[in-house]
Amino acid sequence: MEHNLDAHCQMILDEYLDNLDTYQKIQEIVIDKLNECIRQSNITINAVEARIKTEKSLRGKLMLKGYKYNSIADITDIVGARVITFYTDEVDKVAAIIDKVFDIDWQNSIDKRTVLELDQFGYMSLHYICRIPQSLYDDPAMPKVNQYRFEIQMRTALQHVWATMYHDTGYKSGIEIPREHLRNMNRIAGMLELADEQFSRIRKEITDYRRKIQSLVADGDFDSIPLNGDTFRSFLDLNPYQKLIDKIANINQAEVYEDNIFRFLDIFLKMGFKTLGDLVRMNRECKDGAYQLALHQLAGTDLDIVALSIAIQNLCVIHIVKNYGGEKELKHFYDCVHGPSDYNQQRAARTFKQIQEINLK
Amino acid sequence: MDVTINKEESKTIVVLNGRLDTTNASKFQQDIEPLMEGDNPDIEIDCTNMEYTSSQGLRLFLMLQKSVTSRAGNLILTNMKPQVKEVFDITGFSNIINIL
Repeated sequence: MEHNLDAHCQMILDEYLDNLDTYQKIQEIVIDKLNECIRQSNITINAVEARIKTEKSLRGKLMLKGYKYNSIADITDIVGARVITFYTDEVDKVAAIIDKVFDIDWQNSIDKRTVLELDQFGYMSLHYICRIPQSLYDDPAMPKVNQYRFEIQMRTALQHVWATMYHDTGYKSGIEIPREHLRNMNRIAGMLELADEQFSRIRKEITDYRRKIQSLVADGDFDSIPLNGDTFRSFLDLNPYQKLIDKIANINQAEVYEDNIFRFLDIFLKMGFKTLGDLVRMNRECKDGAYQLALHQLAGTDLDIVALSIAIQNLCVIHIVKNYGGEKELKHFYDCVHGPSDYNQQRAARTFKQIQEINLK
Repeated sequence: MDVTINKEESKTIVVLNGRLDTTNASKFQQDIEPLMEGDNPDIEIDCTNMEYTSSQGLRLFLMLQKSVTSRAGNLILTNMKPQVKEVFDITGFSNIINIL
């Protein structure tokens, strides 16, 4: 049911309606600038969003506390933006960006993460009240774009989930929520705060681990490095198959298409490789055979494009024949790479015959 | 080389007949160019009667594959003769193109 506002509140509501184009301009500038600056800073953000308070929502606010405002300019959340980060430390990074871009009304901004007492858990978010500086936008026809304030909320995804669920309880409705439910909400807030902290800690540990692996790889200490997604990625940064693929490409002066060779990690693990040292050894012991096989297959053709993965594939094929036997193992390898098929048997037999012809065994 | 293109509801079926080599690669490129746009990106290329592909053919399959995957679709080559498949195998292209 819509109640009539008193004359003072109605005047504020009319001001809002008269200035909707100003608010739309503010929203447009804020969202564009936030997206641009965050993109440039390389912070991975969960979401950047903005909205203009609806007439209905403003009417409700004025009904409840319209007496607090002299004019529409006193209401600072007509335009509201929100930046949702993944990690707690990124909230502060985003805040630093916003501080550089917009004029901040420090008196009315609030860090709700610091206002909770030691034994309290609940809403955690950083709220900045801002203005658009003239250095960012200056149009004499729209001076209020620089005068009206707007709000930017910054919080993590988990804080956002909690705030959304809490909002859903209807705390703004004025209806008292049973103590038991409030206590449960606050218990969840404590749990999410711990989860946020853990996520940040895990990220730091992963970053430290990756740095350590990169350093070990750079030092060439391959036997001490377990083979996994992180280490294989660092290993590939060294271009370990470049020499071989260049040599294979030279057979027909071919172009090299750099396809995704990361998928071979699963194959290497299935082949029983445990460390990067195993890959280095395969490269060292099988590279001549891998080249000879490519030479045998390509030399009589005019094929002048090859995929980078042919280098790895030939290394694996030679490694398998040298260490495990013949066609059956090759068929198993092709089944792993391409999925099982009758053709793989034919291909295994053909490859095995070619390897015998180049006398590698 | 003959190329027949049939647009079905869920995918486009391209039937290739003969050799795909430097003499007809640009004609094939013209034939498949319309397939590199639109909302229905899934393509099946029936290679039952395809006799050979040159490097130029491989490049065109790669170009088509990139276009299809950029639109979240799938490109599959079916019923390929072993001697044609061997070209994909020895160049590493069977690691890139989905051959059934």
